[in-house]
Amino acid sequence: MANISNSLYNQFTIEEYVVEQEPFYLPVRDEVELFEAAYAANVPILLKGPTGTGKTRFVEYMAWKLSRPVVKVSAGSANGDNGRVIPLITIACHEDLTASDLVGRYLLDAEGTRWIDGPLTRAVKSGAICYLDEIVEARKDTTVLIHPLADHRRVLPVEKQGLVLEAKKGFQLVISYNPGYQSALKDLKESTRQRFIAIEFSPPPAEEEAKIIKKESDCTEEQALALAKLGEKIRNLHDHGLKEGASTRVLIYAGKLMSHGITARRACHVAVVWGITDDHELQRSIQEVVSSIFE
Amino acid sequence: MEHGAAFAAHQEELEKLPLSFQEEFRKTEETLGFIFKEDEMASWAREALAISTRTPRSWEAGIEYLKACGEVAKYLSFASFTQWTRCGAYLSQDSPTLAVSYFRASPAIVADLRPQHIARWAGLGRSLYKGTWKSSTLAAKFFETSPTLVKNLSFWDVEVCANLIEALSSKSYDVATECLVMGSEVLPRMSREREPFLALCRTLTDSGWREVKACFQVVGRALPQVEESQRSRFLRLADHLAREGSREISLFIVSGSAALGRIRPQAQQHVLDLCDTLMVVSPPAVHALLNSLESVLSRITLPQLDSWFDHGLRLIHENPDGGLAFFKVESSTSEAVIESLSSSLELERVKGILMLYCRALSGFDIEVTESDQLVGKGIGWVSEGHATTEGTKVFLPLIIDRYSSKDENFGWFKVVSTHQVAHLEFGSFLFEFERPSALFDDTRLAREEALISQVKEDEEMKAYARGAETGWVTDITRCFSLLADRKLALDLFTILEDGRLDYRVKVEYPGMRRFYNRVQQDALDGRPALMELPLRQALVEMLVRFSLEQYRGLPTPKRYAKAVGVLAKIQRRLRNAEATVEDTSEATLRTYDILSRIPNQQEEEEWENQDFDADEEFSEEELAEVLKEMGPPTEAEGSDDQEPYESPEDVDFRGDFKPELVQTLNRMRSGDMPKDAEGSGDLTQDMLEQMLRESAEYGDEQGEGEEAMAEFAQNLMKEAGATSPMPTAGQGYGPMVHVDEQGGELEAREPKTFVYDEWDFRAADYKPKWCVVREKTVDQGDLQFFGDTMRNYAGLVSDVRRQFELVIPESFRKVRRQPDGDEFDLDASIEAMIDRRSGITPSEKVYWFRNKQERDVAVVFLLDMSASTAEAIDEGRPSLGDQNAPEDPVEYMMWLRSRREGLVRRHYKRIIDLEKEGVALLLQALESIGDIYGIYGFSGYGRENVEFYVIKDVEEHLSDVVKRRIDKISPLHATRMGPAIRHATAKLDKQDAKTKILFLISDGRPQDRGYSREGVEKEYAVHDTHMALVEAKRLDITPFCLTVDKSGHDYLKAMCGDMSYEVLEDIWTLPQRLPQLYRKLTI
Repeated sequence: MANISNSLYNQFTIEEYVVEQEPFYLPVRDEVELFEAAYAANVPILLKGPTGTGKTRFVEYMAWKLSRPVVKVSAGSANGDNGRVIPLITIACHEDLTASDLVGRYLLDAEGTRWIDGPLTRAVKSGAICYLDEIVEARKDTTVLIHPLADHRRVLPVEKQGLVLEAKKGFQLVISYNPGYQSALKDLKESTRQRFIAIEFSPPPAEEEAKIIKKESDCTEEQALALAKLGEKIRNLHDHGLKEGASTRVLIYAGKLMSHGITARRACHVAVVWGITDDHELQRSIQEVVSSIFE
Repeated sequence: MEHGAAFAAHQEELEKLPLSFQEEFRKTEETLGFIFKEDEMASWAREALAISTRTPRSWEAGIEYLKACGEVAKYLSFASFTQWTRCGAYLSQDSPTLAVSYFRASPAIVADLRPQHIARWAGLGRSLYKGTWKSSTLAAKFFETSPTLVKNLSFWDVEVCANLIEALSSKSYDVATECLVMGSEVLPRMSREREPFLALCRTLTDSGWREVKACFQVVGRALPQVEESQRSRFLRLADHLAREGSREISLFIVSGSAALGRIRPQAQQHVLDLCDTLMVVSPPAVHALLNSLESVLSRITLPQLDSWFDHGLRLIHENPDGGLAFFKVESSTSEAVIESLSSSLELERVKGILMLYCRALSGFDIEVTESDQLVGKGIGWVSEGHATTEGTKVFLPLIIDRYSSKDENFGWFKVVSTHQVAHLEFGSFLFEFERPSALFDDTRLAREEALISQVKEDEEMKAYARGAETGWVTDITRCFSLLADRKLALDLFTILEDGRLDYRVKVEYPGMRRFYNRVQQDALDGRPALMELPLRQALVEMLVRFSLEQYRGLPTPKRYAKAVGVLAKIQRRLRNAEATVEDTSEATLRTYDILSRIPNQQEEEEWENQDFDADEEFSEEELAEVLKEMGPPTEAEGSDDQEPYESPEDVDFRGDFKPELVQTLNRMRSGDMPKDAEGSGDLTQDMLEQMLRESAEYGDEQGEGEEAMAEFAQNLMKEAGATSPMPTAGQGYGPMVHVDEQGGELEAREPKTFVYDEWDFRAADYKPKWCVVREKTVDQGDLQFFGDTMRNYAGLVSDVRRQFELVIPESFRKVRRQPDGDEFDLDASIEAMIDRRSGITPSEKVYWFRNKQERDVAVVFLLDMSASTAEAIDEGRPSLGDQNAPEDPVEYMMWLRSRREGLVRRHYKRIIDLEKEGVALLLQALESIGDIYGIYGFSGYGRENVEFYVIKDVEEHLSDVVKRRIDKISPLHATRMGPAIRHATAKLDKQDAKTKILFLISDGRPQDRGYSREGVEKEYAVHDTHMALVEAKRLDITPFCLTVDKSGHDYLKAMCGDMSYEVLEDIWTLPQRLPQLYRKLTI
């Protein structure tokens, strides 16, 4: 199925969604090399870190980067078969995500039932990078499902069909996990956790973050530096009522608003202050930090 | 007429009278003979005898008459004299006693009494006499005191006063007499306010005569506080109040005049205007207004008072009770209005914000507290009201009233705390002696070496030598030790470092720049004039000016213009975002070199305004050149004309800066102590004392002497060792503190106390900070109780457990006919297929899924531990004692005997016992189901003593300790439910559970001292409790009330509103019912 594109919207079948434009990603440490090595060695990857630290962006970037060695193929003729372009399948996990949602299910059809593959099955079949976002949110039975895929076997049993699918070359399992805000109830099982290599993400140092903000939001360098400083200061409040500090993402949003002519204080107010907390006093305090940093 | 004629004429009659009378008669005749004519004398003698002979004992009055005659005759014509005499005679007809006092008082009064008033005066006394002994005493007292009164009061007033006394005497002679006595003291001192005062008393005589005496008592002391011109008005106000039926007028006079006395005389009139306005609407509010006046005016200005007042006036029209609470400042609305009007800012209100702000900036766990707390610690900080920091806390003044708006005052707080945090953020206390500076050539090490080589020859440098050998307590000390004058060194370091930080803050936080500049400018305005200072101090002051960014137009001593130029350049070099504290230290050394060469003398100098903002860089060569020109440093005590050096005035927003102490403290806190020669590695008290003695930061105010020093060092060590700034919480059943029921907000002063508002349903507003909840842990008792209960209710226990265990599987349910799910629902699928085939649109809901609902319950049980739970329950059933009777006859006899002797455990039960058993059973059930739960008891006495007993805290695990505590649950005092519920709500709110339940078990209506309006309206308590439950509900907590009070239906309906409750008909079922109810509630 080719992607249907008309004047209203772009639509892809999931195997054919490939990252074509180079996503901006600024490596902080050796995570790119690690990913490449793991990909080559078929080792699944766990990305840890608070929200807005670039986990998803990193996966996109790697999907793009690993597709690079080959000659660029146009989207219309992208073909999973030659394994040269690596599709990226992202699944947002939630607490009602069942095994059938991932693997597939029978649907009623005109004359009986029809099997339809779930996204995980499709990723396994097409050799895509399968990114399970916020894995701990998923139900326990779901997380166990990926065990055979995540170790040396690299297979996906499809019970209802009585099949065992072997992962195609190039299939890569990436899961992300934010150890911060989930309660003890929602922790990764040891057996799951120990099937992955873990790359830890944390907010980048202020200078790096400023670069990212500038690049992403098109604001001035001065504004970017100030926003990075704001981010740093707010993160100091971690554990003082803030579950998580301001992510790079909200700082970028603030930067974007600024580059579109919103005053700095106002931009920070709507993008950062109100976004990260509902606590009135905390808001006031962060507001004061904002008004100290920005004129 | 010759002497003795009158005597002779009446000799016969006179001889019947006592000798003393005859004697007196003769004497008086002699005196009067000079004044009166012959015929007058004759008539006098007749009158005198008439008075003296009316009854056998009349002569006593006669003697008094004769004694008075001489004096009286001097002032009166004979006609008046006769009238006076006749009045006396008339009085003696009624009562000789009366006449005696009349005559006795006459000589004193006659000078001031106009003759035409004599009869009226006598009449006043007469009117008090009602023929009884008490009334005659009163009348006599009147004559006795009237000279003072007549002398100082108009006769009209005397008459009013006498009328008042008469009216009073109809209520009580004693009170009337006392008032008369007091009146003779108080009234003469009054001027125009006397009339309204008497009018007030007259009013009071009818409405509440007991108050009259109190008024007389207090008025003398109270009234002078009020501005003279306003006293009459004030009293008329009181009169008005009295007419309106207000009872405590004397109290009003005392507190009202005290309140007025505390404000400016001009303002008093204004306030009385307000009172008059208010009087028309609500007399009780006037009293309230005056009482709260002082505290209100301490926060807002007089013009602002008007808008506060208007607000209250509007409120009082709508809701009189609310308005009254408003003027008492016992309502949140009132607080809020004051708060919004007032420009002064209390630290308390913004502490939380500032604390988080400081933490955000610095990244440390900084606390913000009042600066007087640090002073109390006795570790070297002495100036209250100054901002400062000691490394982990930022200390700020309690209240700021510097600018005219709240925002500006907050801005000041922000500048101050930013500056303090800057010390931490930009590393003022991280100074390291050996770390190179960023902008200067380092000279510290070279200087130290030079000193060490010099030390050997110099006696005075011994201290230095010792420091160098044993290792320095702090790096700052090591640096300061390079310089001879530690005080100057510290001042320079402080100025330069503060200047560096101010600059840095403005670079890092451009948003603060504007206000920061303003604060700096304000600080500059208050600096002392340069030309009035001794030379060296003037130059230090110039450095302060530089650091506050004043570089232009400074008067400079011509002789040292070049040196000042170099100083400016050194200071300007620190105006660089890269400058570090080490740069400050290098700058300190250099400026010290210059300043130590400048004599501190006040001399005629040529001053010249100069600018120092040229963009020239500092160069070492220039410094060397200047130093060379100036010659060697001046000796401190060398010349006589030098004045002792004094530190420059503080720059207030910068607060106290004590780098040495902070470094010491930080070091001690981290346990990083210097190694001494023996290598023991600990910082000793000796070393500390030594350091402190040399340090300039140890202020002179602290007193000298070894003892003070040792104590100081100990305090420091204690502070460093103290991990928690709070004392450990008090435990158990503490003593009660009585606070008056009136009075206002309470504060949670001790640890583990919490303050809550209380709902006043009449005012429809909260009384802010009204109740103090004291959290205590229940003592541990015997574990046996728990075991016994388990055994006694063994059947029930297993039953309850089974019931609860069933709860868990119930939560897994197959949910059928879903649009989406794990599998096809066979039935639904078939139906759908049939529908299809028969041409009907099939349902899409053909799946089922397992709905896994995680049980996530947090519950708090609140037990009524009031005294009433001690009531024994009717033994409606065979007591446990009988059930336990042993079957073996011998044992039975033993048991019976011991029972008779009262040795067996009490077999009757109290309500509390059943509550305890219920809780114990529940404990088991809750454990089996795994819910989060806390069990608390509450009781208390008065709003300042709401006791909240922890039996099992929410975070606590079930342990023997908890089981032991259950045994000690016992009936205590009263039942103030509202605050207890609020506290429990606060605890539950912290829990992160889907279902939260507040389970209240009580035995009756809420009641407590002062938990009602004016002590009668019990509804007050019910409404407050209701509001507390509503508050819980707003926080998504499900409240449930269980009561064993059979008459509970009447108030529970009002108390719980639409929330569920249950009245237990049969109290014996409590232990069974409790788990049942709980199970129902949570599924």
